[in-house]
Amino acid sequence: MNRKLIAMVVTGAMIASMAPAIADDTRTVAMICDSSISDGGWGMACYNAMIDAAEKCGWETMYSDSIAQSAYYDTIVSYCDLDVDMIYAPGNQYTDAVLQAAEEYPDIAFALLNGGADTPEKAANGNVSSLLPNATQIGWIAGALAGLMTDSGTIAFIGGMELDTTRAKYAGYGEAAAFVAGENGKTITLLDPVYSGDFSASDKGLEFAKAMMDQGADVFFGDASAVDSGARQAIDEANEANGEITVYDIAQPADLLGQNPCVIGSQVTDNSVLIELSMKAVEDGNFGGETLFGTLENGVLSAGEVNTELVPEDVQAAYADYIQQMIDGTFMGGAAETEAE
Amino acid sequence: MGSFISNLILASVRMASPLIFLSLAELYSQRAGLVNIGIEGIAAIGSLTGFLISLITGNPLLGVLAGALAGIAVNMIFAYATISLCAEQIVYGMAINIFAPALAAFIYRVYFGSGSELVQAGLMGSLKSMLGIKSNNFLVNLFLDQTPMVYLAYILIIVTAIYFTRTKSGLNYKAVGEYPKAAATLGINVIGIKYLSCVICGALAGIGGAYLTTCYSKTYVDGNVAGRGFIALAAVIFGRWSSGGVLIACLFFGFCDALQIRLQLVNNTLPYQFFQMIPYVATIVVLAAIGAKKAGPKSSGQPYRKEER
Amino acid sequence: MKNKGLGALIIVPVLSIIISFLIGCIIIAALGANPADAMRYLWKGAFGNVRNLGTTFSRSTPLIFTTLCACFAYRCGVFNLGGEGQFIIGSILACYIATKSPLTGVPAILLCAVAGAVGGGLWAALAGLLKVYRGQNEMIITIMLNYVATLLMGVVYTNWLRDGSVPQTVAVPDETQLPSFLGLRATIAFPIAILTGIVIFYFLFYTSSGFQLRAVGLNMTAAKVNGFNVKRYLLMSFIVSGAIAGLGGALELLGTQLRLINGFGAGYGFDGVAMALIASLHPLAGILVAIFFAALRVGSTTMQTATGVPTSVSDIIQALVIVFTVAGMAMVKLPEFKSRFARKAQKEA
Repeated sequence: MNRKLIAMVVTGAMIASMAPAIADDTRTVAMICDSSISDGGWGMACYNAMIDAAEKCGWETMYSDSIAQSAYYDTIVSYCDLDVDMIYAPGNQYTDAVLQAAEEYPDIAFALLNGGADTPEKAANGNVSSLLPNATQIGWIAGALAGLMTDSGTIAFIGGMELDTTRAKYAGYGEAAAFVAGENGKTITLLDPVYSGDFSASDKGLEFAKAMMDQGADVFFGDASAVDSGARQAIDEANEANGEITVYDIAQPADLLGQNPCVIGSQVTDNSVLIELSMKAVEDGNFGGETLFGTLENGVLSAGEVNTELVPEDVQAAYADYIQQMIDGTFMGGAAETEAE
Repeated sequence: MGSFISNLILASVRMASPLIFLSLAELYSQRAGLVNIGIEGIAAIGSLTGFLISLITGNPLLGVLAGALAGIAVNMIFAYATISLCAEQIVYGMAINIFAPALAAFIYRVYFGSGSELVQAGLMGSLKSMLGIKSNNFLVNLFLDQTPMVYLAYILIIVTAIYFTRTKSGLNYKAVGEYPKAAATLGINVIGIKYLSCVICGALAGIGGAYLTTCYSKTYVDGNVAGRGFIALAAVIFGRWSSGGVLIACLFFGFCDALQIRLQLVNNTLPYQFFQMIPYVATIVVLAAIGAKKAGPKSSGQPYRKEER
Repeated sequence: MKNKGLGALIIVPVLSIIISFLIGCIIIAALGANPADAMRYLWKGAFGNVRNLGTTFSRSTPLIFTTLCACFAYRCGVFNLGGEGQFIIGSILACYIATKSPLTGVPAILLCAVAGAVGGGLWAALAGLLKVYRGQNEMIITIMLNYVATLLMGVVYTNWLRDGSVPQTVAVPDETQLPSFLGLRATIAFPIAILTGIVIFYFLFYTSSGFQLRAVGLNMTAAKVNGFNVKRYLLMSFIVSGAIAGLGGALELLGTQLRLINGFGAGYGFDGVAMALIASLHPLAGILVAIFFAALRVGSTTMQTATGVPTSVSDIIQALVIVFTVAGMAMVKLPEFKSRFARKAQKEA
């Protein structure tokens, strides 16, 4: 009886292994992500951007999410072995794994979101592109709203990893908030940035936010995927205990208005435009070696809808005005623009 | 500074609560002679089930109940293998730790598909919000701003203490963990009690897991148990296998956790990981200090075979 | 009788694997996918071409080391669950030497390997001392030490050896990386792992010291009566098994991962114990089991992308293999089972 069963399984396995390989003409993009694609923040927005771009270009998509840092390279390589056309890695933390894989797979395109401006040069085969939304401007968009909305004058920032882009967002957030507050007769205390060390520990975000509220922070901005969701939960809880919404959160990189009551606005990055450009480049056979910048000027960055119940009308108008100044290059006297390049 | 300390205390209590459930789960298991390191995995299933049921029914309490049932179901695999088949307990607990989280991750993936919406379930309200109290006084927050589950945890600690020291049934239970053969000659149903211990352990570990998604965090993330099952194991040893000791251990470990989170806020020269190590190092130190004779129920980890009587 | 015992040792794991796969196929079918397709892609992903084969070998290498670590310890009667911690300590030392010392190339590789083995051995000795002199349960101690090692590694890559913005250490310099094995993705760590397995096999079964170690493992009291210095043997077993895991950690760092990073080595220790048990603590069988599990892991990605079956199905299959084998092994050792089996055999005769 047992022997028969074994024989059956073995025969089955043999037949199975002789079957033909996949033959398909559609192009494919594969995304890797260390947080979950349903994290209500970064992972979700980056996944949706890929889906949007793929729909427009008629590509197929694949993804692996919630992968450990030690598995970045392994996961990228397993997709490369499946002969995908493009690897989409949304985050600066994938830089080393992407460069390593790009060297081994010269025919595959690697689109690194938030890669350094100099990363494409480092790729020996010229098959890596950086999709680089302007991190300082991202910080500004959030910072201006924070500066207008803070009551206590203390604002906070929660980061995932201490990445260059995250640091630039923090700096932009702080300088814009200080400038805007100064014009409105307030002073700003920007708490030191905290880093959770990963992008998935929502309970860490919860505890961080509670501790930072104890320090007086009343506007939060974050760059830490699921950790941000945890922070927003803590803020909501504190507001609920107070009976009114006095602590605010500014979301990114998608418009998350309505997801949590504490969200007063979002900084929106339309990564799909950058991905689409990369896909077009792959189709035309001229992918690689470039850095595609995303800015307020070219429409990749924008300010999302503002929570009209929490943000007074005059503040909405002032905020819109500041955003227009950023687009025109006159924000903070236009001096900082050079720094943002 | 005052607010720093009072907030630290609140955070310690918050961090300790899930640990209490998991540690009591381990305590009930070890008191019947079963070392179950699989509570990490059982809690993972409890956490997912609690989340799903609370999301579907909108009632976190039902979520906790479902978490307990799921925990029992998974722990019955452990029970059958270790009690009836006499499989090596720690190895089997480890197998559960590989199996249960994989199952939880799979169910989540299948249930939600590849949707990219953030799924948030409602949390259990605190007593303070139920009573409509507005005060933000420290003592009010400490004693009233807690979910019913937290009170349940402390009640269970007291009940457990009374059960193991003051009741006949509790003494019989302990006898199974200490001298199973002698217990059997006295007419105690050793196998029955061992199975009972697995039901209690599974339920408590499932509740501990469900606590994380019904009382603590609105979202479910794979791996959200985050080693708490092993800290619970440490707490049982550090608390010297007594209910009161377990409580102290959980509060102490909760304090370490709350402190290390706050240390990350200030750019500290002392890496926060050293504080995360405290539960494990403390356990090793305690074990080294007390010696084998006093280290827990005597038949812990040993298989029990009727024939060898 | 001896043959019958051996038969069970092979039948139980094989049956467990078959049942686990059948359950896996049922799950796949329930998800609306074709199980035969899924299995085909699983196979293709793991062994379908030279590249995938190399990946499978590369992924199996650390598992082979931790499996051998567990095989060796269990054969000698010490239940070392600390393979993971010993693996990590080995890699930490290797990382320091590879990135901080002036040495590069072969001398650096050799020093890393030795340091990794020594580090792993010493880390295991901590547990060994507590077991031998304080009579403590080594399983609990080694589990706790795993966490301590993982957190220590965290300090290294977030503080002491951190490189730039991402919490990770500097990469091992090119000259100190292990060369590729036969042009495959796997490095020479793979043949070294197999060689280590053969050496352990030879040592345990064909040398008198190996025989003595196994004798201590089989029956400690008898060994004591026969005048063996049991304490010394137990401590030695810990150190050697830890050294195997530590060597694995050093080679994994120099060969595959190249830097310490969050998640490095996670789960390898427990995986190794499970695989050793499935292999009935036989070092050579252990190598095969480790490759089998690595194949399941590598192949599952292909399966997921080609058929939409999530990789967690493969995780469940792996877990079920462990769940069934460990229970099955315990079952055949039960006196009731043995007597029933014997009676049945008598009847048939």
